[in-house]
Amino acid sequence: MKVLEIQGLMKRYPAFLLDGVSFSLDEGRIMGLIGRNGAGKTTTLKSIFNLVHPTAGEIKILGMSMPEQENEIKQQIGYAGGAVDYYRRKKLRDIVSVTRIFYPNWDEAAYRKYLNAFSLDEDKTPMQLSEGMRVKFSLTLALSHRARLLILDEPTSGLDPVSRAELLETFRFLRDGGVSILFSTHITTDLENCADDISYIKNGKLVSSMPLADFLSENAQAGNGDTLEDVMVHYEKESLYEKLAD
Amino acid sequence: MKSLLIKEFRLAASPLSYVFLAAAFMTLLPGYPILIGAFFICFGVFHSFQNAREANDTLYTVLLPVEKRGFVRAKYAFTCVIQLAGFVLCAALTFLRMTVFSQAGPYVGNALMNPSPVFLAFELIIFAAFNVVFVGGFFKTAYKIGFPFLRYGIATLLIIVIAEALHFFPGLKFLNTTTGERLGIQFVALGCAAVIYAAATVISCKNSQKKFEMIDL
Repeated sequence: MKVLEIQGLMKRYPAFLLDGVSFSLDEGRIMGLIGRNGAGKTTTLKSIFNLVHPTAGEIKILGMSMPEQENEIKQQIGYAGGAVDYYRRKKLRDIVSVTRIFYPNWDEAAYRKYLNAFSLDEDKTPMQLSEGMRVKFSLTLALSHRARLLILDEPTSGLDPVSRAELLETFRFLRDGGVSILFSTHITTDLENCADDISYIKNGKLVSSMPLADFLSENAQAGNGDTLEDVMVHYEKESLYEKLAD
Repeated sequence: MKSLLIKEFRLAASPLSYVFLAAAFMTLLPGYPILIGAFFICFGVFHSFQNAREANDTLYTVLLPVEKRGFVRAKYAFTCVIQLAGFVLCAALTFLRMTVFSQAGPYVGNALMNPSPVFLAFELIIFAAFNVVFVGGFFKTAYKIGFPFLRYGIATLLIIVIAEALHFFPGLKFLNTTTGERLGIQFVALGCAAVIYAAATVISCKNSQKKFEMIDL
């Protein structure tokens, strides 16, 4: 079953165009959305969540149309722009006590489980948590209302290697439980460690969207590189030396 | 809507919104432009908007399973709750000054506006100005609060000057009565102000909902 279908997504800004991005994500899979800074990853994710208004295109989540069925969709998905960055001076307990009233399907047992697993202290404020712990709190909130699709914008940026490894392990655990994850990153090793599929955006255009293994083998055969990092450098690198020399 | 209002009070509100309700007691000050109390009550609400902005309240809320229109409505509802609490306090103190303290020394011969139904009417007009100029201005961007509040401050100043000057015009002395003279027409004025307050707030809310829907966050 497809949990996310994007067709011809376009967003026009004065200095940037997200141009006809199309891809889909199956249930229980992890997709990495990869590209350079400013390639259009965040715009794509924000469009999916109706935080920005697409100029054109169609977005279906769990078979429902965004933005027409926004409320129903948001009951079943979670979005985190990386670490929790709101109410930094409120206790987690207070944030959760308000958040839960918006979700009829809030699962208190699941909340307690993730709270313990992530060693989160409810009496701390987001400000007192490390970047990694704030990402985990974001995930806890999303998973406690039984989100079937997680959309995460660069969740591993700024994390130390251990926190990144823990987070990727969490992603794999969630995938095995049937949760689908779409996360943007420019850290290629993260994708090699956990992604099933990859969607590659360059300058607002989708270069490729396919299983990661196929992407790597196609590019290896074409001589573009053997690792994701090599492939990305092959596609993106411009001759800065010549530019500087001009 | 109820959930969003709970969120406003438990997460977004600044304690100063409640502290500044005490500005209603300015109603008791003799020789003072007492309508400034209404300005300060709104200043308390302004602090909640500032607090919410610093706490990324907009992002938190739009990620919840709620309509963006509901977010706007909740901000207006919170504002109205605080304003109406301030209004009730002012009304109670107005009643005291018009009855128990009507002949009290400091109030007799007060050159500035005395509490009366007309005073309460002007309070509602100042609240309406806040809802239209400040809250409506805020939702043009959902983050800029400085200029909308400056514009509201200027509008309030004009309203206070007009209100304080009116009873000096011929035939309008009754607007500043301490003895309840021509109460009927004063209550008509209060009723009209209540209608203006309600209509301005509803129209401003609907306009803000449309503006907020268009904003890319």
